[in-house]
Amino acid sequence: MLLFDILESLRSALRSIRAHGFRSFLTTLGIIIGVAAVIATVSIIQGLQFSINEQFQGLGTNSIIVQSFNTFERRLQGIVARISPSDFDLLSRVEGIATISPIIGGGGSQLRYGSQVYATQITGSTYSYQDVAQVYMKYGRFLSDADDITRRRVVVIGETVRENLNLPENPVDEYVRVGDEWMKVIGLAEEKGQLFGQNQDNFAIIPYSTMRSIAGNQNELDMAIQLTLGNLDQMEAVQDQVTALLRNAHDIEPGEDDDFQVRSSEQLTDTFNNILGSVTFVMGGIVGISLLVGGIGIMNIMLVSVTERTKEIGICKAIGAKRHQILLQFLFESLLLCLLGGLIGLTIGYGIGLAASAAIPDFPRAVVPLWAVLLSFLFSAMVGLVFGIMPAAKAANLDPIDALRYE
Amino acid sequence: MSLLRIENLSKEYQMGDNVLRALDGVNLGIERGDYVAITGTSGSGKSTMLNILGCLDRPSSGRYILNQKDVSQMDPDELAEIRNREIGFIFQSFNLLPRASALDNVVQPLIYQHLPRQERLRRATEALQHVGLGARLDHLPNQLSGGQRQRVAIARALVTKPSILLADEPTGNLDSRTTIEIMRLFDDLHAEHQTIIIVTHEAEIARHCHRIVRLEDGRVAEDRRNRELA
Repeated sequence: MLLFDILESLRSALRSIRAHGFRSFLTTLGIIIGVAAVIATVSIIQGLQFSINEQFQGLGTNSIIVQSFNTFERRLQGIVARISPSDFDLLSRVEGIATISPIIGGGGSQLRYGSQVYATQITGSTYSYQDVAQVYMKYGRFLSDADDITRRRVVVIGETVRENLNLPENPVDEYVRVGDEWMKVIGLAEEKGQLFGQNQDNFAIIPYSTMRSIAGNQNELDMAIQLTLGNLDQMEAVQDQVTALLRNAHDIEPGEDDDFQVRSSEQLTDTFNNILGSVTFVMGGIVGISLLVGGIGIMNIMLVSVTERTKEIGICKAIGAKRHQILLQFLFESLLLCLLGGLIGLTIGYGIGLAASAAIPDFPRAVVPLWAVLLSFLFSAMVGLVFGIMPAAKAANLDPIDALRYE
Repeated sequence: MSLLRIENLSKEYQMGDNVLRALDGVNLGIERGDYVAITGTSGSGKSTMLNILGCLDRPSSGRYILNQKDVSQMDPDELAEIRNREIGFIFQSFNLLPRASALDNVVQPLIYQHLPRQERLRRATEALQHVGLGARLDHLPNQLSGGQRQRVAIARALVTKPSILLADEPTGNLDSRTTIEIMRLFDDLHAEHQTIIIVTHEAEIARHCHRIVRLEDGRVAEDRRNRELA
């Protein structure tokens, strides 16, 4: 019997919403905007998160990155912290590490081939850097340990560099001039495209030792060091060891802050996800407020609608409508309004997300997770019920005689 | 056994400090198939009588037995059920649902009886044909004339096969020609043994009925057979 009443209430609620098409649309506008905002934000953030996680996956969970770190005060004092080649030698002796790769971001340098000149970022590193940077070869090979040990003048380049230097399709065995040194191209990396507007194919990688030997003043070098662990259980022990060794080497007094950072790749991912998470959270708050306002709008219109239809309610009661039947009719009207608003908002929000991610070059594609869809529907339904119950109860409790007399 | 019996029924309203006694110890019995007019000047208690007979209101004291059920102390939902099954209302201002077609208006009381859709449509169509509106099922109330609207209302009142057809000034908003048509419809329904109660202040309307109950100051002042028809 209740199911019957629910179905009939739905039918009459639909009829009433259709009869007031434009008003119904205006009523639900608050919900539409709220849900559209949440879905647009979530879809963009989820797209970002998805691609960031993908980026970091290559690092593996068992790696640690050591970088120099300057506090604001120190920078004001003109002190610049560095991770130096001697730090690298020091860390090579830490127990529990499987591989260690130095990464020198040696600033920009000019490359020459024939009459072509092109400036790009030169990185000095070793064999294991291939896994860190996820550089895969299209032609030739990546740096080997032997290249590093013997300080060979060899270079691995990206597609953009090849193009700008007018190198042949397969540039392996060609010679280019890097700064003042002639170097042999041993590999061309696969094209990666762009990420966040950054060209990912604009780089040249040479062996770490080669980089050191041609760099003028070794003490000026600042580098990053990537460690991988043999055993994940030792993560903390290794981090502690590295911290202790570097504090000692950098003469940091107890109580002073580190001038370096030791972070696992998991921590890095976590940091990003935390930022995105708090953005989502803040947006959620804003959206919550807009849904609240939307809900109040719905309640307002429903109250007006009850007053407007007082006579109709009286008629229905006179011909035998019970209280719960009137209640259900109005409750379903506000519920349906909110769900329709939620549905429209969902479509618009996803559209905005897609449009935004398409408009920003190389922005990852918007992703709407199922939980966001369910959550916005659940929230819309809740708003409909919470803000619909009062007008519906008012309608249900009208006295039939007074209602019939109402003009 | 009477169809309805009212025993020593009173209804009081609190008006500020004063107690207004709209009905004062009324006794009345109505038999199945009766065709009754309840008349009286304004303030005589007619409307209160109508509301209580129609189970829209509860008496302050006394008993109202309808179809062997004491309805005087029922709660609002039980009264709704009684209104739905036992009473067919016909109002002066028709009181049709403005956005629903003639058919949907007549279907409405059957929805509250939880009848399946096909059955509802069949019965509503029959009721509309019975009052001569078989060709106007899909018209909205504002597409119908006053007489036609009142016919829809009568069809809606009849569709539940109620014990009593309760009409409140049914011709008050109609011209004289339409009034005659509607009263003829009531006469026909009476001929089909429908119990009819018409609340009216017009002697012209009361004349159609077989029994005339005149209220005065909340009491039955006169209760007589209609000699003109006898």
